[in-house]
Amino acid sequence: MTIHPRTHLATHPVAEMYADEYKAGKLSRREFMTRSTALGVSAAAAYSLIGLAPSTAQAQMATPPMGGSLRIQMEVRALKDPRTFDWSQMANVSRGILEYLVESRADGSFNGVLLESWEANEDASQYILRVRPGITFNNGDPFTAEDVAANFIGWCDSTVEGNSMAARMGALVDPDTGVAREGAIEVIDDMTVQITYPASDITLVAGIADYPAAVQHRDLIGTNPLDHGIGTGAYRVTDYEVGVSARLEKNTDHTYWGEAYLDEIVFIDLGQDPAAWFAGAEAGEFDMTYETVGEFVDLFSAIGWTQSEVVTAATVVIRPNQNNAPYDDVRVRRAIALAVDPQVCLDLGINGQGVTAENHHVAPIHPEYAELPPITVDKEAAAALLAEAGQSDFVFEITSIDDDYRRNTTDAVAAQLRDAGFNVERTVIPGSTFWNDWTTYSFSSTNWNHRELGVIILNLAYRSGVAWNESGFANAEFDALLDQANGIADADARREIMARLQSIMQEEGVTLQPYWRSLFRHYRDGVINADMHPKFEINVHYLGVAA
Amino acid sequence: MGQFILRRAGVMLLTALCLTFVVFFLTNLFPNLEKLAKTQGNARMTDAEVVSWLDRNGYGGPMIVRYGEWLGVAPGWTREDPETGRITGRCIDQGMDPAEAPRFCGLLQGDLGYSTVSDAEVSEIIGGRLQLTLILMAWAFGVMVPAALIIGVLAGMREGSRTDRSLSTLAIASTATPEYVSGVIFIVLLASSTAGLSPILAEWGWIDSRTLFLGSARSAMEEGVTFWNFTLPVMTIALYGMGYIARMTRASMAEVMTAQYIRTARLKGQSFRNIVLKHALRNALIAPFTVIMLQFPWLLTGVVIVETLFNYNGFGWTLVQAASNNDIELLLACSIVAVFVVLVTQLISDIGYVFLNPRIRLA
Repeated sequence: MTIHPRTHLATHPVAEMYADEYKAGKLSRREFMTRSTALGVSAAAAYSLIGLAPSTAQAQMATPPMGGSLRIQMEVRALKDPRTFDWSQMANVSRGILEYLVESRADGSFNGVLLESWEANEDASQYILRVRPGITFNNGDPFTAEDVAANFIGWCDSTVEGNSMAARMGALVDPDTGVAREGAIEVIDDMTVQITYPASDITLVAGIADYPAAVQHRDLIGTNPLDHGIGTGAYRVTDYEVGVSARLEKNTDHTYWGEAYLDEIVFIDLGQDPAAWFAGAEAGEFDMTYETVGEFVDLFSAIGWTQSEVVTAATVVIRPNQNNAPYDDVRVRRAIALAVDPQVCLDLGINGQGVTAENHHVAPIHPEYAELPPITVDKEAAAALLAEAGQSDFVFEITSIDDDYRRNTTDAVAAQLRDAGFNVERTVIPGSTFWNDWTTYSFSSTNWNHRELGVIILNLAYRSGVAWNESGFANAEFDALLDQANGIADADARREIMARLQSIMQEEGVTLQPYWRSLFRHYRDGVINADMHPKFEINVHYLGVAA
Repeated sequence: MGQFILRRAGVMLLTALCLTFVVFFLTNLFPNLEKLAKTQGNARMTDAEVVSWLDRNGYGGPMIVRYGEWLGVAPGWTREDPETGRITGRCIDQGMDPAEAPRFCGLLQGDLGYSTVSDAEVSEIIGGRLQLTLILMAWAFGVMVPAALIIGVLAGMREGSRTDRSLSTLAIASTATPEYVSGVIFIVLLASSTAGLSPILAEWGWIDSRTLFLGSARSAMEEGVTFWNFTLPVMTIALYGMGYIARMTRASMAEVMTAQYIRTARLKGQSFRNIVLKHALRNALIAPFTVIMLQFPWLLTGVVIVETLFNYNGFGWTLVQAASNNDIELLLACSIVAVFVVLVTQLISDIGYVFLNPRIRLA
């Protein structure tokens, strides 16, 4: 793409260190890109650090012709305050109006959208964010540092129910007041904002690239974008019927700072049944899927649609909750882990569409992934361990949501446990009620989306007492190591701690986490820049159709 | 007659009141409210956040009072935010001055309430959806009733004949196949480009498009009904009801054909065609008439399945959405519509009976 002239950092001492690691084969290119661009180095500069020309290396984005209309099959859910978005689908519609400070690309790099550049100090405790000049809201107001600061303050407000941005803001939130820490967010001048953490934090950029971080006008924080329609994006919403469809059209009264190609984008909601999506594709009702799942991946390819695949850190965990006996006994948890072969879960759960994982919820594509010895599967040892714990007669009730891959994967776990001599009962709960108690089921499966860094997931899901800690895992050593890891920008040093964190996860048998999912999307010939994104993002500004 | 209709209307009101209370009670059980809070707030809220959300959005008071608010006999809730001092309430729309808002805003005031899942007024949603369903039902009825009557009369006029046996088998088979089975079979056979008839026909060059029919009726909502997009949903609904009505018509026809006056007509030398059309038909249609009217409520359940299967966003589909998202006020409005449809069709069937059968009088 030819847009976005930017003045990022040319280099950063830590990024140079990463470059050496990449050259030494310790880092994949994807990991290198994630980490160096998070520090504020531009994608182009990062590529040049490792001796690649950006034009050949960067994820290819074509320049589509102007005009055209595209129909996307996607759930249309009721919009609300973006901070409380709990589905990426919501953000895909609102992205036409509300843009983001930073976006994450499918190659793992971060690109400035409303920010022109950002840079971190050496220990990653202070960030300077520079606003892209020349951006206006569609009501005529200029977009300035004040807007950035107001959004940060809004994101840090943990008193708003369901504001998941507060968790992403980490130590910027004052634990006593529940709102932004005094002096953490400072407007330096019209175009510059300074963010100061009490300790190092490397998750800021990943946090503000996530889908609930849509940037609102400074006076409209906490409102539903559908009610006012004010934003920096090139589009406006003309129709929005929940569960039916949403229509975006190019806002001709607004001078957009970048390029937007399509005149019209329609999101069509065909429900949750992939069979209905397929019937809709056969009936020619849309041009592109939001996500294609399971056996339908092959079916969509069979009717001649183009397939786009991306390997992610999206996964399913099947975890016992340690607040329930007998799962408070580490021997029981270890026995469960010993009895289940991840490969079987991968094959039966998602048709082998992914790669196997190692029960510690840190993916090989995560920058700080440490390679551990392969896990062992030994059904006899599992049975022996269970007998030792005195729980051979216990009836294990495994709960899952009633859907395709999560139910199948959980069934695969249940079958393997039965093979090892466990008494297993399966409970399947409809999607509408499953989430009421998802953190407290005694033994159940949950899907987790892709996150850019391994520490982000561990902070969200396994730190003692956090809201989404569904395994009831509470381990002081683990928390202390995690605090340490959170402050280390250096890859090797962090990896050493990660190795320990990952093995604690395995030793404690915290969860079964059998595979990493590949995500798929299909589109018709002629649709441009519609490739699958690890976080399901669709940026309507980039899409196009061949003339 | 007038009194009879009045009494029926009274029964209808009472039924609607009872049914809506039951629906209200079930949707307001705490686990359902919790589900509502999580779909509206955030799918992964904590318990404390759920309680605070429910309280802020007016789900905190006693259930009977909230039912009164919905009916419009109790004043709508208002709440002042302790921090900002902003007043929110049931009757205060967005951007409205709290001082100007009415005190009551329920069913009696003509306010059906607010649909949480659609984020819009219930009255705005339900009208358009009902219209879509009406179109679907009209087509289904238009196909079902004539076809069923013709099959029933043909089968019943000569009981035990080969025509009777084969048509009866057909009727029984269609009644025994529920919509969710026949719909799927239709889609596989007729609306898939890789299975069933369509690939064969396309190969022979008999059809230009990829499939014979569309397995999704969505285009019928925007671009209008065509033979291509509406055949399968209409057939799916019509087939199920058709067999039943045909069986009833056949039984009634067969009975009439054994009556004394038919024998008299035969002995007089009337042609068989005349006997059937002039003497037997009217009497034979009394029983099916009631059955046909009773099919309306059944159709309502049929459209729930068919609209979901074929992605047609009508009343049935709305009902499914409302129920699965615990959208209380939308669900209540759906129940009122359902009660209305059932009782009005019963009323029509009772009145129609009088005209068809002079021996019955409405007291």
